Amino acid sequence: MEFIALTITAMVPFLFVAQGTMLSGRAGIFNVAQEGLMLLGAAVGYLVSLAVGSNTVGIVVAGLAGAVFGAVLAWATTYLRMDQFVVGLALFFLAGGTASLLYRVVIGNDEPPRIKPLPDVLLGQDLLVYLAIALSIGLWWWLYRTDAGMRLRSVGENPKAADSLGIDVVRTRMVAGTVGAALMAVGGAYLPMVFSGVYADGIVAGRGWLAIALAFFGGWRPQLILLGSAFFAAMDVLAQRAQVLGIGVPHQFVSMLPYVATLLVMVVAFRWALVPQFLGKNYDRESRIVG
Amino acid sequence: MSTAVLARPSAGERARSAAVAAVPYVLAVLAAFAIVAVLIALLGHDPAKAFRAVLTNSFRTPTGMVQTLQKWVPLTLLALAFAIPLAAGRFNIGGEGQLILGATGSVAVGITLSDLPMVVLLPLSILAGVAAGAFWAGISAWLMERFRVNEILSTVLLNFVSFEILDYVASVVWSDPGAGGAVTLPIGEGAVLPTLGRPPMHVGVLLVVVLAAVAAVLARRSVAGFELGAVGLNERAARLHGIRTGRVAVLSMVVAGAIGGLAGAIEVMGVHQRAIEGMQSNFLLLGIIIGLIARGSLTAVPFVAFGIAVLEVGAGSMQRVSGAPVEIVLILEGLILLFILMSDVVMTRRRRSRAKAAS
Repeated sequence: MEFIALTITAMVPFLFVAQGTMLSGRAGIFNVAQEGLMLLGAAVGYLVSLAVGSNTVGIVVAGLAGAVFGAVLAWATTYLRMDQFVVGLALFFLAGGTASLLYRVVIGNDEPPRIKPLPDVLLGQDLLVYLAIALSIGLWWWLYRTDAGMRLRSVGENPKAADSLGIDVVRTRMVAGTVGAALMAVGGAYLPMVFSGVYADGIVAGRGWLAIALAFFGGWRPQLILLGSAFFAAMDVLAQRAQVLGIGVPHQFVSMLPYVATLLVMVVAFRWALVPQFLGKNYDRESRIVG
Repeated sequence: MSTAVLARPSAGERARSAAVAAVPYVLAVLAAFAIVAVLIALLGHDPAKAFRAVLTNSFRTPTGMVQTLQKWVPLTLLALAFAIPLAAGRFNIGGEGQLILGATGSVAVGITLSDLPMVVLLPLSILAGVAAGAFWAGISAWLMERFRVNEILSTVLLNFVSFEILDYVASVVWSDPGAGGAVTLPIGEGAVLPTLGRPPMHVGVLLVVVLAAVAAVLARRSVAGFELGAVGLNERAARLHGIRTGRVAVLSMVVAGAIGGLAGAIEVMGVHQRAIEGMQSNFLLLGIIIGLIARGSLTAVPFVAFGIAVLEVGAGSMQRVSGAPVEIVLILEGLILLFILMSDVVMTRRRRSRAKAAS
């Protein structure tokens, strides 16, 4: 029982960030600023919660901060058609730098005060756990069972065809890029509220990059990302367990397990691990080259 | 192939066109500094003082210069390790894993064979690092080619595996009991890179200068360099013209891994004389940003890397002198990259509108 609870808590930040990556990616925007956006979400979420005394406000403001960066990414890659990967990394630096700077300016080098953890609402889990799972199922339903979702997917698969059928490619990408980045920042804001109570520059610890890996791992499909994140989180908790219990194998090798297992699954699963056709590619409506 | 013989532009013309091409870069860098100046002023510090501290720290004292060069070495190598696969349209996010494996390979030889004389041990240690790095990137390259596993995914995951390998090596296999923390025993004397000058600077710098020059020339003048660029520009066209695109992509990753491994070996043999957990620092990210600011040009990489090394080394002195926090430098680097990209957009638009006006 405790194992399941730990797995769920470990899974939540991955879910928000990987689903955000997936949502942007299905519209063709490949966001690679996760690590920075999570850091920004963590810093903003922590500082606002501290100042206002409400975690909810902290999460909302963190999401808004992420949305601003997502909008810049979407604007730069649609209106200006700048390289997605490069802009994403530049924003990663800016977001990460802003996060550290905000924290340094507000808190300085003092011992940081802890914020209240998120309260449990049901079965000993906090509200964001249920939100994250509802988000995954909701995104699946929205992408595959509604017209608007199909339109969004078509923009990521073949924007030229989508455009010719009257779908506004630029607007779709703006919305998907903005909302996706907001989700990433929310995933970051979860970290100080559940794990540490404080912000630190190393708080994200590569989770952003892992979330990109999980988006690929889940074949850019929300339902599989949910399963993939659960699998990865379970392996991670298992590795920590084995470390504590001591099973005769050096703990470093146990800690490798989640990463190696994810790679092995990808090797077996490369058939279903589809990627949106226009992932990371900009759409130029005046271009004569198709695809 | 066209048979027309084009007159080579004279040296003067070439210099002038290079100067014109440099204008947008200079403007982009100045704009980034201007915004950061406003930010520093808003935080209540003196921007002039801060910039003077950050920019002159490397040149004021020999120690500052040595620190900068020592940082320049891994930054240049990791930027090359990112830029070479990038030229073939592949993303190597595994520079730090390759560096760590290189360091591990290098200490393994440096500790176990520590009695060997320098003539044998030094090259052997370097080779072990290079081979380990190449092997690590080779895994990603093989998965990419054979199983279509995305290389971003595999390089990122292997970074995390490499952290555990280094932790194991540094706290179990060759742990230094007196060090307190995950640190290996020192390598044998014969594996330590000789130093030059005062304060001492390891000769790895010279090695990197040579390597960067060779890489730049090969990228421009060799068949391999041409094929690399062709695959990156249009993979389908390259394949139709008989370039074995898969092999080029795999090789670009393996070469990148070898370079990353060399960075690890040099860090061990020239800087720390041992492997230390966390020795990868933030070199991967800085390497990526350098590769991108250089826009994938291997010729530009060492120069950009030097600029970034100056900023990174100067950041601490800036905080001491002016009180402006070190994090400012991160924002400055991000803005420089963003504005250089923007200047590209502006230049393309101007060229288009000029072409339209001419027709």
